[in-house]
Amino acid sequence: MANKQASLGDRFAEITVILVTVIALAAGWFYKSSIENASLPFSAEGISAEAPKGWLQAEPSGDVLLRTTDINSSGFGATYTVRKIAIAGDATSSEIASRVSLEHAQNLIAFRMLDQREVTVHGRDAFEINYVFVESNPDLTHTEIPSVVLGTDYVFLSGDHAIVVSFQADEKNYDLDLNRFHLFLQSLNF
Amino acid sequence: MSEAKVIHERKHVWRDEILLIVSLVVFVGIVYVLDGAIQPVFTPNTLLLTGVFLALVPAAIWLTFFYLQDRAEPEPKGFVLGVFGLGALLAAAIGIPVVENLFRVSHWLRNDTMSVILGGILVVGFTQEFLKYAAVRYSIYNSGEFDEPTDGVIYATAAGLGYATVLNINFVVSNGGVDLGAGIIRMAVVALAQAAFSGITGYFLGRAKFESEQIWWMPLGITLAAVFNGVFNWLQGIVTRPTITLSGATTNTWMGLVLAAVVALLTTGIILWLVRRNIRSLEAGK
Repeated sequence: MANKQASLGDRFAEITVILVTVIALAAGWFYKSSIENASLPFSAEGISAEAPKGWLQAEPSGDVLLRTTDINSSGFGATYTVRKIAIAGDATSSEIASRVSLEHAQNLIAFRMLDQREVTVHGRDAFEINYVFVESNPDLTHTEIPSVVLGTDYVFLSGDHAIVVSFQADEKNYDLDLNRFHLFLQSLNF
Repeated sequence: MSEAKVIHERKHVWRDEILLIVSLVVFVGIVYVLDGAIQPVFTPNTLLLTGVFLALVPAAIWLTFFYLQDRAEPEPKGFVLGVFGLGALLAAAIGIPVVENLFRVSHWLRNDTMSVILGGILVVGFTQEFLKYAAVRYSIYNSGEFDEPTDGVIYATAAGLGYATVLNINFVVSNGGVDLGAGIIRMAVVALAQAAFSGITGYFLGRAKFESEQIWWMPLGITLAAVFNGVFNWLQGIVTRPTITLSGATTNTWMGLVLAAVVALLTTGIILWLVRRNIRSLEAGK
């Protein structure tokens, strides 16, 4: 059988294949973003936000108003927590941050503070704490290697309360999940 | 241009495809039975090596049948192996990083039916099918050895099996080895599915080379293969979904193999029918 000569039409066909693939992938990207950024309204004790849709939400308990986890994350699932803590009227955000850090040190394995500083988050003053810890399955029969988890807490002062918003994610996914967390922070109202 | 050349149907190509399907199902059965009977104990390293070896088996089966039967007008073995290697390389260098790291499909593709189908087609399907198309289009396609429409199916299948081999090795390595019984079923499913979808792209490539097809012809081929890919993954998720009863959960991994074998047989049958019809019309037009 004879090969037909590569014509202008063949070149156009080749370019069309590439274009169709690029368009499909771009559509896939927008679709992915729309799913990842889909949200559900959350509201409790005067605090409202747009929580990620499709994540696993724990029942509120104690000062924790929201704890939502991405069950599709590999390793330690990305988790957002919102706490409302009663404070003395003259308490500063750095004092509250120290208290929160101390709690982390008591509750988390191999907790280490990485850095802390005063920041402005979407127009609000806050105190930021960055830390790391190790999450290990308490079931001794599990053979999986413990996960190294990176965390960031923002402490906001609001009258006689402090609002502590936390983001914890597997170190491998932390940077990739950070943008989604900032969307959540942006939606936060109190 | 007017050289008189007999159009071969290369009947062994279809035999190879069917033998691949049958042999893989038999091979999976043997490994499954042996695993249950012997219950071998592996160290982490031997488990990993066994997994990697098993990942190579589907491609080895197809290549063996192909080499044994491709005698009438043999394709250069180096070219077939080269396209197989190119498919594997493109999967490792582009396919897997794009799907798993850039699009992070495991994070959002399992949410609901719509996302599994749409994401499966737009992201997984198009990435995989375009790369397998590229492995053929930018290597052997312009060579004089690509001299019959059936060659599109042969080389695309080689690229598809190369792609499947790397997907399987990646699965084994990222899990530090696999359970032999369930692992071999998954590997066979991936190989059968990738070979079947590649066959679609190969049919369109073969016709694009030897006939004056419209500009939409090849994009249609890639799109069809991507749609089959996405819909297959969705169906596989449904048929392999664990059944939960009061006595516990049972996995349905065998159903995935049955589905893959049926899809591969159907796809091979349809492509065979299309190629035969195409060859008849070419001969009638001589």
